[in-house]
Amino acid sequence: MSDRARRWVMRATVGAVVGLALGFAIGWWLWPVQYTNTAPAALRQDYHDDYVVMVATTYEVERDLEQARERLRLLDPEEPTAPVVELAERLVEVNGSAEDITRLARLAWALGALTPTLTPYLEDQP
Amino acid sequence: MRMSGFSARQAAPAIGLVVGLALGLVYTWVVAPVELVNTHPVLLRTDYRWDWVRLAALSYVADGNLGRARARLAELEHEDVTSAIQILIEEYAAAGRPAEIMRSLTTLAQALDVHTPAMLVYLYTPASSPPAPVYTPSPPPTPTSSPTPAPSHTPTPTSEPTHTPTSTPRASSPLPTPTPEPTSTPPPPTPTPPLLSRLQLAEQEQICKPGQTEHIEVVVRDERGAGLAGVVVWLMWPGGADRAVTGLKPQSGAGYADFNAERGVPGSVNYALGVGELGMPLVTNLRLEPCPVEEDEEPLMGSWRIVLGPRPPETE
Repeated sequence: MSDRARRWVMRATVGAVVGLALGFAIGWWLWPVQYTNTAPAALRQDYHDDYVVMVATTYEVERDLEQARERLRLLDPEEPTAPVVELAERLVEVNGSAEDITRLARLAWALGALTPTLTPYLEDQP
Repeated sequence: MRMSGFSARQAAPAIGLVVGLALGLVYTWVVAPVELVNTHPVLLRTDYRWDWVRLAALSYVADGNLGRARARLAELEHEDVTSAIQILIEEYAAAGRPAEIMRSLTTLAQALDVHTPAMLVYLYTPASSPPAPVYTPSPPPTPTSSPTPAPSHTPTPTSEPTHTPTSTPRASSPLPTPTPEPTSTPPPPTPTPPLLSRLQLAEQEQICKPGQTEHIEVVVRDERGAGLAGVVVWLMWPGGADRAVTGLKPQSGAGYADFNAERGVPGSVNYALGVGELGMPLVTNLRLEPCPVEEDEEPLMGSWRIVLGPRPPETE
């Protein structure tokens, strides 16, 4: 390779590196991909938990088990009952709100996913 | 030649820059975009966002916790909250949901500065006690390993005779008291509830007059069958409500009021009819239906004539 060609490649490489850096800066920092149409599965953990509690609470008003299942499927399409049971058991562990646990236990029971940990919360009901 | 050498020198970094920039953007926007985790409700897709509002509102109906409902909705745009709650209230009103639920929803709507005509019916109505009664599923069979034993139900023997004369002493009583029970004491008079709270659907008749505009006539009658003037009647449908007062068209009778029902595709709108400030629709799922016509006649959409009358007071 001639000297001239080598210089040309060098300059192109420097340009490419600068361009790449610019691209990263624009794509990740200055002008990143805007997500506005997200699904409940992408919610932060606290919102995710609140969503599950709301589904369980709303079930008491709407009495629509299929609707509750559909909503939970947005969190876990494979096993929609898993978020309910997982959250309820986590709340039991940390001494969370008994009302929330009871509602979650009721929904878990209605969905046929009641676990022994949650059973006492059903029995406490009048 | 010199010029051409200068151009080539300038072109090299420019070409490199463009290629590098393109690669960088492809990588950051397509290959490894910003991670989609830990998002907020405000970033949810519109339908999910509205469902979030619906869930928060219905949770308020169940738990009556206004602070919690506010916190759940705080991040969302007020427009989203307004639209979703308006739709929820109108949908529930048209479906004839229990008045307690409607009152809770309208209380929340008021607290959030959301207004819709359908909620007017439920405002300023004395509510029994929020939150509204909710469904409690019956508990499942008790497992044997239950850590909290269910309270045992001790049967209490009832030996009260059912067909014996009233003067016969009760078998379970340790002392035979011959005092006869009074049998002729008249029961205390039960107050008759106000007429508006006893109104119910008495008649529903389809009106098929050629050339008519689609409408809903309402006639409110009292116990004697006479028209009752001055009664506020509400017609509600998904997306709105209309109000009329009986007696404003005396030529049609004292208890008469009517509503224009020309909205949407004829027959597609589901109406509910309520009276006064009671909050509970008396007629739900009311839809205009085509009139039966002969083959050679023009198709005609029927209107409705609804007659509301009081059910007789309950007598003991």
